[in-house]
Amino acid sequence: MGSHRSKRGSGEVNLGFQIAPMIDVVFVIMLYFMVMAGAVQVENAHNTKLPGTVQVENTDTPMPDEIAIRIEDDGQVYLNDDPLDSPENKGLPELASNLGQLRESSEASRAEVLVTIYANEQAKYERVVDVLDALSRARISNVTFQAGAPE
Amino acid sequence: MAGGGGSSESGEPEFQIAPMIDVLLVLLVFFMSITSAEVLKVDQNIVLPVSPNAKKREAEMSKHEMAVNVRWDDKTSEASVNVDDRDYPDLTQLVPYLQERVKRDPKVRVVIRGDRLLPAIEIQRVMNVIGEGGIADISFAASNK
Repeated sequence: MGSHRSKRGSGEVNLGFQIAPMIDVVFVIMLYFMVMAGAVQVENAHNTKLPGTVQVENTDTPMPDEIAIRIEDDGQVYLNDDPLDSPENKGLPELASNLGQLRESSEASRAEVLVTIYANEQAKYERVVDVLDALSRARISNVTFQAGAPE
Repeated sequence: MAGGGGSSESGEPEFQIAPMIDVLLVLLVFFMSITSAEVLKVDQNIVLPVSPNAKKREAEMSKHEMAVNVRWDDKTSEASVNVDDRDYPDLTQLVPYLQERVKRDPKVRVVIRGDRLLPAIEIQRVMNVIGEGGIADISFAASNK
């Protein structure tokens, strides 16, 4: 981009390129995008595999430590039948810290953690995503779903 | 803001307009690029659940992704499934479509975009249909805030 100098005065009608209004417009557009950048919503994702369709490559792998998380209709979350956090607590800090400890102890014994989520029929999907969020905070990615309550 | 430019003959520093425009344009392009996040076919009727710790979508998987929108009408308490701008009142009709997608692209991943108020049973129904369609790779969409 070269520098532009406008010819002014001397009775000539100047139809040339005006730099000052252009800068004004660029400033306004830039301010718009700066403000919008703070409010932008990004769509993220929790990746998982559906159970029963994953092909087992190595049958010698040890059995994973199974953890059951149950979600009740009112939003109460149970970890292996122990109620954790209140139904209103969206962050699920107790669940995340318990899961983190379980993962660490499983890693120490070189076993893998397998979490199964049992969501009741009328439990809110939002609560399921809260649990998935707590799982990703505890860095557990081996998650499956099960319909109905654990036996 | 007046137009200027060029070096001053008197030795006094002058306001240079050209580099300023260059910097402004770079800033403009930067802010434009970060605001235009790549989004699948977004269904405005769905309010996604919030999950700050969900992973960012992988760029290399974006061309293999297809969205399954699961809406929830709170007044009638009914869920409706919409895939590629088509409604599927009977979920079994979705199975052949999913099978065809797998044939075309074996690495296809289904992104389930469910409304935050959906009952879990509706999501489980959709997961069953996806399983019947022969797709194992799924992800749950969530908003960052």
